[in-house]
Amino acid sequence: MKIEGEHLFNGPRQDVWDMIQDPVVLASAVPGMDKLDKVSETEYQGKMNIRIGPVSGAFDGKLTMQNPVPPESTTLLVEGKGAPGFVKGAGNAQFIEQGPEQTVLKYDADLSIGGTLASVGQRMIDSVAKSMMRTAFETLDAALAARLAAKAAGKATEEVEYKQASESDYAKAVAKDAMGGLTSSAEGKLVIYIIPMIVVVIVLAVLLSRCSG
Amino acid sequence: MADKMKVKITVNGTLYEREVEPRLLLSDFIRHDLGLTGTHVGCEHGLCGACTVLMNGEAVRSCILFTVMADGADIKTVESLGTMEKMHPIQEAFQEKHALQCGFCTPGFLMTTVEYLGKNPNPTAEEAREAIDGNFCRCTGYENIVEAVQLAAKKMAAHEQ
Amino acid sequence: MTESLISKSIKRNEDPRLLTGNSTFIDDIEFPGMLHVAIKRSDYAHGVIKSIDTSEAKKIPGVVAIYTAEDLGDYWKAGPLQVPPPTAIPGAIFHARPLECIAKNKIRFSGEPIAVVVAESRYIAEDALDYIYLDVEMLDYVGDLEKAVEPGSALVHEDLGSNLAADVVQEVGNYEKAAAEADVVIKKRIVTTHVAGGAIENRGFVAQWDDNMKILNCWATTQGPIPMRNSIARYLGLMENQIRMINPSIGGGFGPKIMSSQIDDVIIPWIAMKLKKPIKWFEDRRENFLGTTSERDQVHYAEIALKNDGTILGVKDVFYHNTGAYDPYGMTIPLNTQTHVISNYKVPNYYTEIKMVFTNQMVVTPVRGAGRSHGIFVMERLLDAAAKKLGMDPVELRRKNLLPPEAFPFKTGVTGQDFVENILDSGNYPMALEKTVQALEYDKFKKEIQPKLRAEGKHKGIGIIMFTEGTAVGPYEGAKVMVGVTGKVNVVCAYSNQGQGHYTTLAQICASQLGVKVTDINVVIGDTGQFQWGVGAFASRGITLVGTAVHQASLKVREKALELGSKLLNTPKEELELEDGCIRIADLPEKSISLGELAMKANPTRGTVEEGMEPGLEAAAYYGPPHGATGFGCLGMIIDVDAETCKPKIERLVLTDDCGTPINPMIVDGQLHGGLQMGIGESFYEKLVYDEYGQMVTASYMDYLFPQASDMPAKMEIKHSVTPSPLNPLGVKGIGEAGAICVPACFMQALEDALYENDLDIVESSLNPSMLFHYVQKAKSA
Repeated sequence: MKIEGEHLFNGPRQDVWDMIQDPVVLASAVPGMDKLDKVSETEYQGKMNIRIGPVSGAFDGKLTMQNPVPPESTTLLVEGKGAPGFVKGAGNAQFIEQGPEQTVLKYDADLSIGGTLASVGQRMIDSVAKSMMRTAFETLDAALAARLAAKAAGKATEEVEYKQASESDYAKAVAKDAMGGLTSSAEGKLVIYIIPMIVVVIVLAVLLSRCSG
Repeated sequence: MADKMKVKITVNGTLYEREVEPRLLLSDFIRHDLGLTGTHVGCEHGLCGACTVLMNGEAVRSCILFTVMADGADIKTVESLGTMEKMHPIQEAFQEKHALQCGFCTPGFLMTTVEYLGKNPNPTAEEAREAIDGNFCRCTGYENIVEAVQLAAKKMAAHEQ
Repeated sequence: MTESLISKSIKRNEDPRLLTGNSTFIDDIEFPGMLHVAIKRSDYAHGVIKSIDTSEAKKIPGVVAIYTAEDLGDYWKAGPLQVPPPTAIPGAIFHARPLECIAKNKIRFSGEPIAVVVAESRYIAEDALDYIYLDVEMLDYVGDLEKAVEPGSALVHEDLGSNLAADVVQEVGNYEKAAAEADVVIKKRIVTTHVAGGAIENRGFVAQWDDNMKILNCWATTQGPIPMRNSIARYLGLMENQIRMINPSIGGGFGPKIMSSQIDDVIIPWIAMKLKKPIKWFEDRRENFLGTTSERDQVHYAEIALKNDGTILGVKDVFYHNTGAYDPYGMTIPLNTQTHVISNYKVPNYYTEIKMVFTNQMVVTPVRGAGRSHGIFVMERLLDAAAKKLGMDPVELRRKNLLPPEAFPFKTGVTGQDFVENILDSGNYPMALEKTVQALEYDKFKKEIQPKLRAEGKHKGIGIIMFTEGTAVGPYEGAKVMVGVTGKVNVVCAYSNQGQGHYTTLAQICASQLGVKVTDINVVIGDTGQFQWGVGAFASRGITLVGTAVHQASLKVREKALELGSKLLNTPKEELELEDGCIRIADLPEKSISLGELAMKANPTRGTVEEGMEPGLEAAAYYGPPHGATGFGCLGMIIDVDAETCKPKIERLVLTDDCGTPINPMIVDGQLHGGLQMGIGESFYEKLVYDEYGQMVTASYMDYLFPQASDMPAKMEIKHSVTPSPLNPLGVKGIGEAGAICVPACFMQALEDALYENDLDIVESSLNPSMLFHYVQKAKSA
């Protein structure tokens, strides 16, 4: 799966860079992330719960920063695996100053996804990935604002509390993205066939989550 | 492992009181705990319909129901229809119209038909086709099943007179 | 005169037990103390195994044992080739890489087994799968057939140095010369699509080892019980008769259940012997998509050379065939393609080359159609393109080039899947074409109806294509007929039944000789404890090969009964008849002796017998044809396409089919119905899709779309002609695959005709609304 895009942060580049070095912030940005530990200057290790359509389960993951050029760019290597399958890939992030108060993040990633995640969850992956990105950026935007406010008030950024996106917000986002993806495409007319299938998927997801819970 | 739960389920007229794991699927309960192996499991995700049984008169997919969800329910499986010596009119119709080949999906079709003909005792070919649209068959191409559903309706009407 | 029950639509013997839930399918088999198996499969498509950690999984209460390839020790080895290489074809190159049923050092496809869990329940076994950790060094995925054989591609089998598994060239005449002399040469790249067998019942295996008797009882959903038994015997070092392999009722086969020497039949008997416990494995649906064999993935570079008047001068077809990660099933599928491209038409010059390619995908073995549909698709697509180019009516072009009835038996000069020259035994192709043309009122549709519809803005198209169905190949099958002391008759064979109706058709053949009721004949299929010889259910060969064996064995028993009856009734044989379960004097029907009593007398318990006497009213017979028998037919369709949504509706479907003598016409039509459904599935619903990393992304019925009742036409109009095969006494040919073979070619022709304004050039055997939409968009922008 290839992902690319950009996001505008309302903050100076150095602050954005500092923020993404903070595992607490990163953990809060990812829905389902249980914990994220910084194991070295360039390595993070974590556990997250993933749910894609009917597939759900715990993932052990490792995130490595390669060739970091603070505060301009970094390459991220991602490796995660667990009962529902695996994710492996590399991404590039570039932080570009847009004036003194704004920073544009340009990113692209190539992820290979395997196992049940791919074979059963594939249809949902794009929407889920999109939603995860959006939810993550919303959280990061809030975190950045809080950190800047704390800084202005002369407090340490460690004192800021970060709010993780709730499961239901995230589920809503997924459903919205799934619909958006359908209606905007050439296949939009087929939506009539696909909606019942999505309902089935959601029912199954509920059943399966009970099953594993 | 989760604690077992007590359930009381009536299957084909017999009341069973059992302790089951909460995650035990109704299809597995029927097939393996009760030994009623006429109900088959084809896809385990509620799409193919081979596992269709009647729960309180309604056709349901037993592979996506937990046994505990059927606590207190009245279940009917293919074994509740006829015997080999004296088949149910729907079963007779399926044989006469060659509406089965390997027979694996057939119990699901029969139970779907039982429920459907209860609601619509005299379907047109189009209605009969729609009624079985949720059940998968890989062998027959469905045409003979559609005809069997209609023939079954006629046989059942004649039975009642 | 004993009444012949051949060609009678008799209700099936097996139906009452199937309809009332009294059949035993594999997952219905239970024994006290039975343990359950779940298989851990690789999430990775291609990689080197660094480690497999089962320690945490072993700690789960109820888990009895877990085995990886390492744990198998010397028992681990690659399986035998189930189908031998085509050494009969001069110059054929074939690199054997038989299946490694559980990955040892390397993973070659996603879904490949890496560990087997044995537990007290299936639930616990599946729980344990989540706690088995596989560490893999990933390698590049090999999935594109053409790129796979280019230098620099990652290698599925490094030792081979290339992903080319086989290269087989066959030529009749001289295509290049023909092309040079032709008025028109058309070249196309044509793709056939990967589809699944998709039986509603998944595969399964049960093994029970009797340690006192040293007998291994096995139940399997196999289409070939004898080859599977023999494979197990070789693996375990047992005599064949120490293994009793039984087919329970099987919920559909469609090809993939023919494979043996896989994880189930290699490992489960071994575990049963090791643990001295009955063991059961029943595949789940996702596993079936990932781990069970499938096929149809071919890329063809095809050419046709013609004269301006439409006469075919030659055909060339160079094609890539995906064999998956291993090639245990030899070249059955692509060889079928080679024979079927030209089998309807006069093609004086034919060049065909198979390039068989290893990929990081599941092993490929036949699915109903097995290469035939691909050949038909290629040829019919070429003809459609030629008709457009020459401005000829597509039916007229076919009419002009069909093999005439007097051409048979026709030697094609091409070696087939049975390693002998493909000879078309009999046929009347023009008759089949005209029957379908008339039933659809083709000329009226083209000249009157369609122009009107087009003027109204409607998109209704017609397609008519020809096909052959190579069936009933060797080597052989056998059967035994035995009259019991009750007068009922046993017919036993080691074939396999997945719903084809053999319990009835074989009984009809036997009853026609012995004068008993069809319901008084008990047919046993696929029990190696009762019959020791056979090959298996593939290539639409059951009713021809086993049926002929039953016929011949029945004749022997009939003769035996008449001889004995003649002695007991003191009457010459010629004056006796078999009727109503008795031998009686034709003119004095009250003087009779029942078959049951005769069976008693045929097994004397005291006294002496004549030299050479064989006891019992029993006989076995074996039958192997010199080459296959070829069915044929013509399919026509009228399809109405909603030009906006690209949703097609099959308005009429007329299939004229000729399978020689039908034993039970009702069952023949049933086979055609089911085949047509699979063909319609391939054309517009079904598609196995691997993503760019080798992950199968259609591993559920949510993504792999099965034709449902509403996807089928309201009526499949089936017409028949009967051209008996000269190869066997009953004149039968196979029927199992006809329906599946013919649909995609016809479907695409009709779609192109329906969407005539866009001048589509459809080169894939499988579309869906969105693909068709893109075809239309592409055509519009061109």
